[in-house]
Amino acid sequence: MFGLGKKKETLLAPFAGAVVGVDQVPDPVFSQKMLGDGFAVVPAADAGTVDVVAPCAGRLAKVFNTGHAFALVSDQGLEVLVHIGLETVEMKGEGFEALAATGDHVDAGQPVIRADVAAIRAGGRDPITPVVCTKAKQVAKLVVSDGDAGPAATVTLN
Amino acid sequence: MITRTATIGAPNGLHARPAALFVDAVEESGLDVTISFRGETADAGSLLEVLTLGAEHGDEVELATEDDGAGEALDRLVELLVRGDA
Repeated sequence: MFGLGKKKETLLAPFAGAVVGVDQVPDPVFSQKMLGDGFAVVPAADAGTVDVVAPCAGRLAKVFNTGHAFALVSDQGLEVLVHIGLETVEMKGEGFEALAATGDHVDAGQPVIRADVAAIRAGGRDPITPVVCTKAKQVAKLVVSDGDAGPAATVTLN
Repeated sequence: MITRTATIGAPNGLHARPAALFVDAVEESGLDVTISFRGETADAGSLLEVLTLGAEHGDEVELATEDDGAGEALDRLVELLVRGDA
């Protein structure tokens, strides 16, 4: 559009941990990219409570009442969903504390939800946290970084 | 315009898996469908919009399309939401 080069969005890991491709998530909804392409973060085995941050700057389209997920529309329009752990909707808010609200504008790296990773694990659930781009048409290319430093993924936008 | 109402059957509401399957079905139908819940109307073809409605198990949503010949297709979408195993 307007003859500009393709825009890119860099996505931060929502908390410290090992970054893997979304195809590595042990839930077909994510691994088959039904919710979109992306990456996932595995918290450290001894992680207690972590602050889950916005992967990029944008507006919070929804912080779910259950606190287990939030949806963000980046300043460039990219739709991103952060889902803290698998099957965690069943925890009905227990172990999650919202630090920001639906409609808020957040900076990249700003805490959105405080999650009790130990409680997720104690309930027999996997705390792997997928970050996916829910609108496939927006994504030309998504590269997951393998290093520990810098952004977790770079998205080239259509 | 035709409309249908559906009661969400999925135990955890119109969340990740059911929402993804529903949006896929809407895309396959080729129709422009909206889904409304508690005064908010979302594009049923947008996963993020559908997820952000936050419809829970037992909630009633309304589907609508401008295509008056799409009654059967809309019925199938309703069935998917009601069945809840989507």
